[in-house]
Amino acid sequence: MNALKAIILRELQEHKWGFVYLPWIVATFMSLVVVLVYLGLTEVNTENFKFSTEIYSDPDVAQAMKESTLEQRSGAIRAGLLVLGAPLVIALGFAILAFSLSTFFDERKDKSIIFWRSLPVSDTFTVLSKLLVATIIAPLLVVPPLLVLHLISVMVGSIFFVVADIVPFFWAWEAYPFFDWIRVILSLWMQSLWTLPIITWIMLTGAYSRKPVIGAILPPVVISLSEQVAFSSSTFFDAVMQRVQPWSRSEAFPIEYEGLRVAEIADIPLLFSLNEFWIGIAVSIIFIALTIYFRSRSDYSSVE
Amino acid sequence: MSNRKQVIRARNIQKKYSGQSALSGFDLEVYQGQIMGLIGPNGAGKSTFLQAVLGLVETTGELEVLGLSPKRDRHELLKRASSITDVAVMPRWMTVGQVLKYVEGVHPRFDMNKARKILSNTNIQKDSRVRTLSRGMVVQLHLSLVMAIDAELLVLDEPTLGLDLAYRKEFYSQLIEDYFDGNKTIIISTHQVEEIEGVLSDVVFLNKGKAIMKESIDSLNTRYLELRPKAEFLEKAKSLKPIYTRTELSRPVYLYEDTEIQKLETFGEVHPPAIADLFLAIMNKTNQSEEGS
Repeated sequence: MNALKAIILRELQEHKWGFVYLPWIVATFMSLVVVLVYLGLTEVNTENFKFSTEIYSDPDVAQAMKESTLEQRSGAIRAGLLVLGAPLVIALGFAILAFSLSTFFDERKDKSIIFWRSLPVSDTFTVLSKLLVATIIAPLLVVPPLLVLHLISVMVGSIFFVVADIVPFFWAWEAYPFFDWIRVILSLWMQSLWTLPIITWIMLTGAYSRKPVIGAILPPVVISLSEQVAFSSSTFFDAVMQRVQPWSRSEAFPIEYEGLRVAEIADIPLLFSLNEFWIGIAVSIIFIALTIYFRSRSDYSSVE
Repeated sequence: MSNRKQVIRARNIQKKYSGQSALSGFDLEVYQGQIMGLIGPNGAGKSTFLQAVLGLVETTGELEVLGLSPKRDRHELLKRASSITDVAVMPRWMTVGQVLKYVEGVHPRFDMNKARKILSNTNIQKDSRVRTLSRGMVVQLHLSLVMAIDAELLVLDEPTLGLDLAYRKEFYSQLIEDYFDGNKTIIISTHQVEEIEGVLSDVVFLNKGKAIMKESIDSLNTRYLELRPKAEFLEKAKSLKPIYTRTELSRPVYLYEDTEIQKLETFGEVHPPAIADLFLAIMNKTNQSEEGS
């Protein structure tokens, strides 16, 4: 347990920019956006989402807000916060990508692998600990800044509603889905498992390749092109692309999502029922085993 | 030595790198309390053997370290054996405090208080990043870590490579005075033979992946003697068949094997040879006998 704690701490110290600072920076930026929007200085417009104070000037909107049920309010707030939190989740994705790419490559490049391997920590334990950091710990670290972003958004929104005399201060607070945090964390962990073949593939290339970026990209590109040329199909490419999408919105997922409906906890058993999911896990296990194998072969000659 | 615990037992160890032999039938026994020096030229197989001892490379033959198989029981072995090598680079992004904390977390035999105490006698600050330390300070940090681990075996592979003289001296004096207690065992390879010869209890000379001589320092000092003969005794000294001749200030110096000291003393000044000179003599002798056969 001490060893696991020590490894996790070391990884977070080494990758503090990606896993610790970046989520807070993005959350601060998004909080600022929220404040600017409510001050009427800017607005957010996406395909499915419009975030602007302009809509509140419509008396019908104000009326609808007053008459809304708790459930309706909760749904709207959840959807809004989901969009505001999306940049944090995207930043997390990039942080995990950078971590996976560098974690086994940098220790070979700076030769510190011989130092790490001179201590009584097995390669299997090291690889699994790093995987734990990428898939479980890193998503958890996004939760505090995400929570702060949510609270700031609801607070600024509530103040705006009172000042603009639309609804009372606690209108949004009453409907704020506090227990939604369990769903958020579980959903992020499901995403880790869904994307696991990509994470483990990238880790593997870091463990054996001299040029991990090329090593990570080239084989999938070659396989995709070969399949296209030989069979005029894109099964492999589509399978890879599905893994970078949100798990509940990939084509493999049985439920079609419209608009801003978020994945529910009840969707998780559906994910586990997919053959694609378990194929991904099986492929990941092979990549993990290969990563352990390559790391265990490191000696002086492999770093000189 | 037989009543002492065997720490390393190597029989007929072989290792090839892309068809080239790094070790070709290397044998060695190391016992508890020994400070064994591995002496040999580049490519003699020293590093390969020390890597095999630490379970970093797979070899053929029989190899047991602290009763364990280094490759199979590597994890268990590393709880009982520590190492410093010039290849093992400390992570440059870490602070000294972070390194200590990490080793404390992963090593069951690491004593944090001891490490702090050792470091307090150096210029190394807890908050300094490894990248800001000089090479000498990094080695000093590594030594402090290793000294705070209650290991039975310490493997040192060129530990002072690239350090200036003051650091090298300090390294070995700290190692012997503060670390070595007679129950521990040290196996060390270095190019700077002259700096460790006062430290070693035993030596093994390696050449082309084989041990060409294994002796205790005590035995070396009685079996091998160097003579600086007076000019008038040059021929007589030569007739005693020295195994090696070198020149010092234009005068010959003869090295003898198993020759009585009393006999030699009548011809000039006699003293035990430096290990480096003895190594050259033994290598020369081995090469001659190989050519002869």
